[in-house]
Amino acid sequence: MRLYAYCVGDELAAETFEGATGVGGSPLMLVRRGAFAVVVSEFEGDAVPASRENVTEHNRVNALALARSTPLPFRFGTLVEDARLGAYLAKQEATLVAALGRVRGCVEMGAKVIWDAGGRAAGAVEEDEGEAGESPAAGAGTAFLLAKRREVLGEEALRSRAEGVAAALASRLEGLARESSVQVNPKGSLVVRAAHLIERGREEEYRERVRALGREREDLRLMASGPWPPYSFSGPRS
Amino acid sequence: MTDAELILDGEEELSLLETLDHVLDRGLVIAGEVTIAVADIDLIYVGLNVLLGSVETVNEVLGERERRLEYLRGLAPKGGE
Repeated sequence: MRLYAYCVGDELAAETFEGATGVGGSPLMLVRRGAFAVVVSEFEGDAVPASRENVTEHNRVNALALARSTPLPFRFGTLVEDARLGAYLAKQEATLVAALGRVRGCVEMGAKVIWDAGGRAAGAVEEDEGEAGESPAAGAGTAFLLAKRREVLGEEALRSRAEGVAAALASRLEGLARESSVQVNPKGSLVVRAAHLIERGREEEYRERVRALGREREDLRLMASGPWPPYSFSGPRS
Repeated sequence: MTDAELILDGEEELSLLETLDHVLDRGLVIAGEVTIAVADIDLIYVGLNVLLGSVETVNEVLGERERRLEYLRGLAPKGGE
Protein backbone atom coordinates (compact mmCIF):
# COMPACT_ATOMS: atom_id res chain seq x y z
CA MET A 1 0.00 0.00 0.00
CA ARG A 2 1.37 3.34 -0.96
CA LEU A 3 0.57 6.79 0.27
CA TYR A 4 -0.90 9.52 -1.82
CA ALA A 5 0.93 12.71 -0.86
CA TYR A 6 -0.88 16.06 -1.05
CA CYS A 7 1.45 18.57 0.51
CA VAL A 8 4.29 19.14 2.94
CA GLY A 9 4.54 21.91 5.50
CA ASP A 10 6.11 22.92 8.78
CA GLU A 11 2.98 24.49 10.27
CA LEU A 12 0.38 21.85 9.49
CA ALA A 13 -1.87 20.72 12.36
CA ALA A 14 -3.54 17.31 12.56
CA GLU A 15 -6.90 18.74 13.65
CA THR A 16 -7.25 20.53 10.30
CA PHE A 17 -7.65 17.15 8.63
CA GLU A 18 -9.58 15.23 11.28
CA GLY A 19 -12.52 13.38 9.77
CA ALA A 20 -11.67 14.58 6.27
CA THR A 21 -11.05 12.30 3.32
CA GLY A 22 -8.95 12.56 0.21
CA VAL A 23 -8.56 10.89 -3.18
CA GLY A 24 -10.62 7.69 -3.35
CA GLY A 25 -12.40 8.53 -0.10
CA SER A 26 -9.52 7.42 2.14
CA PRO A 27 -9.10 9.28 5.44
CA LEU A 28 -6.43 11.94 5.55
CA MET A 29 -3.45 11.49 7.83
CA LEU A 30 -0.65 13.76 8.90
CA VAL A 31 2.75 12.06 8.83
CA ARG A 32 5.39 13.84 10.89
CA ARG A 33 9.07 13.50 10.05
CA GLY A 34 11.50 15.85 11.78
CA ALA A 35 10.48 19.45 11.16
CA PHE A 36 7.97 18.51 8.50
CA ALA A 37 4.47 17.18 8.29
CA VAL A 38 3.03 15.63 5.14
CA VAL A 39 -0.67 15.26 4.40
CA VAL A 40 -1.29 11.80 2.98
CA SER A 41 -3.97 9.16 2.51
CA GLU A 42 -3.65 5.47 1.72
CA PHE A 43 -3.93 4.61 -1.94
CA GLU A 44 -4.46 1.23 -3.56
CA GLY A 45 -3.25 0.85 -7.10
CA ASP A 46 -0.29 1.79 -9.23
CA ALA A 47 -1.54 4.99 -10.75
CA VAL A 48 -4.07 7.66 -9.98
CA PRO A 49 -6.82 8.12 -12.56
CA ALA A 50 -6.99 11.75 -13.61
CA SER A 51 -10.70 11.89 -13.11
CA ARG A 52 -12.68 14.99 -12.38
CA GLU A 53 -13.29 13.75 -8.82
CA ASN A 54 -9.65 12.93 -8.09
CA VAL A 55 -8.33 16.20 -9.42
CA THR A 56 -10.91 18.10 -7.42
CA GLU A 57 -10.12 16.10 -4.27
CA HIS A 58 -6.40 16.71 -4.63
CA ASN A 59 -6.98 20.43 -4.80
CA ARG A 60 -9.60 20.42 -2.06
CA VAL A 61 -7.21 18.78 0.42
CA ASN A 62 -4.51 21.29 -0.45
CA ALA A 63 -6.98 24.14 -0.09
CA LEU A 64 -7.87 22.80 3.36
CA ALA A 65 -4.21 22.97 4.31
CA LEU A 66 -3.86 26.42 2.75
CA ALA A 67 -6.65 27.78 4.92
CA ARG A 68 -4.34 27.55 7.95
CA SER A 69 -0.83 27.98 6.57
CA THR A 70 0.98 27.77 3.25
CA PRO A 71 2.21 24.25 2.39
CA LEU A 72 4.15 23.04 -0.63
CA PRO A 73 1.68 21.08 -2.75
CA PHE A 74 2.83 17.91 -4.46
CA ARG A 75 1.93 17.37 -8.07
CA PHE A 76 -1.27 15.44 -8.74
CA GLY A 77 -0.69 11.68 -8.66
CA THR A 78 2.25 11.64 -6.25
CA LEU A 79 2.50 8.15 -4.71
CA VAL A 80 5.18 7.19 -2.22
CA GLU A 81 6.01 4.41 0.16
CA ASP A 82 6.18 5.41 3.80
CA ALA A 83 9.88 4.60 4.20
CA ARG A 84 10.73 6.48 1.02
CA LEU A 85 8.86 9.53 2.23
CA GLY A 86 11.00 9.64 5.37
CA ALA A 87 14.18 9.27 3.34
CA TYR A 88 13.13 12.00 0.96
CA LEU A 89 12.30 14.46 3.72
CA ALA A 90 15.61 13.83 5.47
CA LYS A 91 17.61 14.19 2.27
CA GLN A 92 15.82 17.28 1.03
CA GLU A 93 15.50 19.05 4.37
CA ALA A 94 17.49 22.15 3.46
CA THR A 95 15.74 22.54 0.09
CA LEU A 96 12.31 22.16 1.62
CA VAL A 97 13.05 24.61 4.45
CA ALA A 98 14.10 27.18 1.85
CA ALA A 99 11.07 26.46 -0.32
CA LEU A 100 8.69 26.84 2.62
CA GLY A 101 10.36 30.12 3.54
CA ARG A 102 9.84 31.32 -0.01
CA VAL A 103 6.05 30.89 0.14
CA ARG A 104 5.40 31.59 3.81
CA GLY A 105 2.56 34.02 4.39
CA CYS A 106 1.67 33.92 0.70
CA VAL A 107 -0.85 32.36 -1.63
CA GLU A 108 -0.73 31.84 -5.35
CA MET A 109 -3.06 33.80 -7.60
CA GLY A 110 -3.45 33.27 -11.32
CA ALA A 111 -4.27 35.48 -14.27
CA LYS A 112 -5.11 34.41 -17.77
CA VAL A 113 -5.38 36.76 -20.71
CA ILE A 114 -7.40 35.85 -23.78
CA TRP A 115 -7.41 37.74 -27.05
CA ASP A 116 -10.96 38.71 -27.72
CA ALA A 117 -10.61 38.23 -31.46
CA GLY A 118 -14.21 37.78 -32.50
CA GLY A 119 -15.97 39.32 -29.56
CA ARG A 120 -16.73 42.74 -28.21
CA ALA A 121 -13.67 44.46 -29.65
CA ALA A 122 -13.06 42.79 -32.98
CA GLY A 123 -12.72 46.23 -34.54
CA ALA A 124 -9.89 47.14 -32.20
CA VAL A 125 -7.94 44.06 -33.19
CA GLU A 126 -8.47 44.00 -36.90
CA GLU A 127 -10.36 46.91 -38.31
CA ASP A 128 -11.64 45.26 -41.44
CA GLU A 129 -12.79 41.99 -39.87
CA GLY A 130 -15.47 43.12 -37.46
CA GLU A 131 -18.35 41.52 -39.31
CA ALA A 132 -16.81 38.05 -39.42
CA GLY A 133 -16.94 37.94 -35.61
CA GLU A 134 -20.71 38.07 -35.72
CA SER A 135 -21.03 34.83 -37.65
CA PRO A 136 -23.29 32.26 -35.96
CA ALA A 137 -20.59 29.64 -36.54
CA ALA A 138 -18.53 31.37 -33.88
CA GLY A 139 -15.96 28.59 -33.43
CA ALA A 140 -15.07 28.54 -37.08
CA GLY A 141 -15.33 32.31 -37.17
CA THR A 142 -12.77 32.78 -34.43
CA ALA A 143 -10.41 30.21 -35.90
CA PHE A 144 -10.64 32.05 -39.18
CA LEU A 145 -10.03 35.39 -37.54
CA LEU A 146 -7.03 34.10 -35.67
CA ALA A 147 -5.53 32.54 -38.79
CA LYS A 148 -6.20 35.67 -40.75
CA ARG A 149 -4.74 37.87 -38.09
CA ARG A 150 -1.57 35.79 -37.95
CA GLU A 151 -1.25 36.14 -41.66
CA VAL A 152 -1.82 39.87 -41.65
CA LEU A 153 0.17 40.87 -38.65
CA GLY A 154 2.93 38.36 -38.96
CA GLU A 155 4.42 36.38 -36.17
CA GLU A 156 6.82 39.07 -35.08
CA ALA A 157 4.07 41.58 -34.60
CA LEU A 158 2.01 39.05 -32.65
CA ARG A 159 4.92 38.23 -30.43
CA SER A 160 5.57 41.84 -29.74
CA ARG A 161 1.91 42.46 -28.96
CA ALA A 162 1.73 39.41 -26.68
CA GLU A 163 4.80 40.57 -24.81
CA GLY A 164 3.19 43.96 -24.51
CA VAL A 165 0.19 42.32 -22.85
CA ALA A 166 2.42 40.43 -20.43
CA ALA A 167 4.26 43.66 -19.62
CA ALA A 168 0.98 45.49 -19.03
CA LEU A 169 -0.10 42.77 -16.59
CA ALA A 170 3.28 42.82 -14.83
CA SER A 171 3.18 46.57 -14.50
CA ARG A 172 -0.37 46.44 -13.14
CA LEU A 173 0.72 43.98 -10.44
CA GLU A 174 3.87 45.80 -9.48
CA GLY A 175 4.37 45.99 -5.73
CA LEU A 176 1.81 43.22 -5.20
CA ALA A 177 3.40 40.12 -6.70
CA ARG A 178 6.33 38.81 -4.69
CA GLU A 179 7.22 36.42 -7.51
CA SER A 180 5.76 35.59 -10.86
CA SER A 181 5.75 32.72 -13.34
CA VAL A 182 4.55 33.82 -16.76
CA GLN A 183 4.03 31.97 -20.03
CA VAL A 184 3.44 33.97 -23.18
CA ASN A 185 1.82 32.31 -26.18
CA PRO A 186 1.50 34.81 -29.04
CA LYS A 187 -0.07 32.35 -31.47
CA GLY A 188 -2.91 31.16 -29.29
CA SER A 189 -6.04 32.77 -27.96
CA LEU A 190 -4.82 32.23 -24.42
CA VAL A 191 -1.98 34.66 -24.83
CA VAL A 192 -0.71 34.93 -21.26
CA ARG A 193 -0.85 32.44 -18.40
CA ALA A 194 0.56 33.95 -15.27
CA ALA A 195 0.89 32.83 -11.67
CA HIS A 196 1.84 35.21 -8.88
CA LEU A 197 2.89 34.74 -5.31
CA ILE A 198 1.17 37.37 -3.20
CA GLU A 199 0.80 38.05 0.52
CA ARG A 200 -2.26 36.65 2.21
CA GLY A 201 -5.02 39.17 2.59
CA ARG A 202 -4.27 40.87 -0.70
CA GLU A 203 -6.30 38.48 -2.91
CA GLU A 204 -9.08 40.97 -3.57
CA GLU A 205 -6.58 43.66 -4.44
CA TYR A 206 -5.08 41.26 -6.97
CA ARG A 207 -8.47 40.49 -8.51
CA GLU A 208 -9.31 44.16 -8.68
CA ARG A 209 -6.05 45.05 -10.41
CA VAL A 210 -6.60 42.30 -12.97
CA ARG A 211 -10.19 43.48 -13.53
CA ALA A 212 -9.01 47.05 -13.94
CA LEU A 213 -6.70 46.02 -16.73
CA GLY A 214 -9.59 44.16 -18.33
CA ARG A 215 -11.73 47.28 -18.20
CA GLU A 216 -9.04 49.31 -19.89
CA ARG A 217 -8.25 46.82 -22.62
CA GLU A 218 -11.29 46.11 -24.72
CA ASP A 219 -9.28 43.75 -26.92
CA LEU A 220 -8.58 41.40 -23.99
CA ARG A 221 -10.45 39.17 -21.59
CA LEU A 222 -8.84 38.75 -18.21
CA MET A 223 -9.55 36.03 -15.73
CA ALA A 224 -8.17 35.98 -12.20
CA SER A 225 -8.20 32.83 -10.11
CA GLY A 226 -7.16 31.80 -6.64
CA PRO A 227 -6.18 31.70 -3.90
CA TRP A 228 -4.28 28.51 -4.75
CA PRO A 229 -1.66 26.63 -2.80
CA PRO A 230 1.64 27.64 -4.39
CA TYR A 231 1.58 25.01 -7.15
CA SER A 232 3.72 27.19 -9.42
CA PHE A 233 6.25 28.09 -6.74
CA SER A 234 6.97 24.75 -5.09
CA GLY A 235 9.52 23.37 -7.49
CA PRO A 236 12.98 24.65 -8.23
CA ARG A 237 13.10 28.27 -9.34
CA SER A 238 12.91 28.49 -13.09
CA MET B 1 -33.67 28.85 -17.09
CA THR B 2 -31.64 27.09 -19.71
CA ASP B 3 -29.20 29.92 -20.41
CA ALA B 4 -28.44 30.36 -16.75
CA GLU B 5 -27.83 26.63 -16.38
CA LEU B 6 -25.48 26.64 -19.32
CA ILE B 7 -23.54 29.49 -17.82
CA LEU B 8 -23.34 27.79 -14.45
CA ASP B 9 -22.03 24.68 -16.18
CA GLY B 10 -19.54 26.88 -17.97
CA GLU B 11 -18.38 28.31 -14.66
CA GLU B 12 -17.92 24.83 -13.25
CA GLU B 13 -15.96 23.73 -16.29
CA LEU B 14 -13.78 26.79 -16.14
CA SER B 15 -13.13 26.15 -12.49
CA LEU B 16 -12.18 22.54 -13.23
CA LEU B 17 -9.95 23.68 -16.07
CA GLU B 18 -8.19 26.09 -13.75
CA THR B 19 -7.71 23.31 -11.22
CA LEU B 20 -6.35 20.95 -13.87
CA ASP B 21 -4.04 23.63 -15.09
CA HIS B 22 -2.58 23.94 -11.60
CA VAL B 23 -2.39 20.36 -10.37
CA LEU B 24 -1.39 18.37 -13.44
CA ASP B 25 1.92 19.92 -14.38
CA ARG B 26 2.87 22.01 -11.40
CA GLY B 27 3.65 21.27 -7.79
CA LEU B 28 6.46 19.63 -5.92
CA VAL B 29 8.12 16.79 -7.79
CA ILE B 30 10.69 14.49 -6.28
CA ALA B 31 12.56 12.43 -8.80
CA GLY B 32 13.75 9.08 -7.63
CA GLU B 33 11.87 9.01 -4.35
CA VAL B 34 8.30 9.60 -5.35
CA THR B 35 6.34 8.27 -8.28
CA ILE B 36 4.13 10.54 -10.26
CA ALA B 37 1.66 8.03 -11.57
CA VAL B 38 -1.30 9.38 -13.42
CA ALA B 39 -3.63 7.13 -15.34
CA ASP B 40 -6.41 7.81 -17.79
CA ILE B 41 -5.35 11.35 -18.32
CA ASP B 42 -7.27 11.54 -21.57
CA LEU B 43 -10.54 10.82 -19.83
CA ILE B 44 -10.72 14.13 -18.10
CA TYR B 45 -10.22 16.01 -21.30
CA VAL B 46 -13.25 14.42 -22.87
CA GLY B 47 -15.83 17.12 -22.78
CA LEU B 48 -13.33 19.71 -21.72
CA ASN B 49 -11.66 19.85 -25.10
CA VAL B 50 -14.66 21.61 -26.46
CA LEU B 51 -14.27 24.29 -23.88
CA LEU B 52 -10.50 24.48 -24.17
CA GLY B 53 -10.74 25.00 -27.88
CA SER B 54 -13.61 27.35 -27.71
CA VAL B 55 -12.76 30.92 -27.00
CA GLU B 56 -16.42 31.74 -27.41
CA THR B 57 -17.43 29.62 -24.44
CA VAL B 58 -14.75 31.17 -22.29
CA ASN B 59 -15.78 34.59 -23.48
CA GLU B 60 -19.40 33.86 -22.70
CA VAL B 61 -18.58 32.76 -19.19
CA LEU B 62 -16.29 35.71 -18.62
CA GLY B 63 -18.75 38.09 -20.21
CA GLU B 64 -21.49 36.84 -17.93
CA ARG B 65 -19.18 37.13 -14.94
CA GLU B 66 -18.37 40.72 -15.88
CA ARG B 67 -22.03 41.56 -16.30
CA ARG B 68 -22.77 40.14 -12.87
CA LEU B 69 -19.91 42.11 -11.34
CA GLU B 70 -21.16 45.28 -12.97
CA TYR B 71 -24.64 44.56 -11.74
CA LEU B 72 -23.32 43.99 -8.24
CA ARG B 73 -21.49 47.28 -8.38
CA GLY B 74 -24.72 48.96 -9.36
CA LEU B 75 -23.31 50.08 -12.65
CA ALA B 76 -25.31 50.11 -15.84
CA PRO B 77 -24.56 47.10 -18.04
CA LYS B 78 -22.28 47.82 -20.95
CA GLY B 79 -23.97 48.29 -24.31
CA GLY B 80 -22.90 45.59 -26.73
CA GLU B 81 -20.49 47.51 -28.95
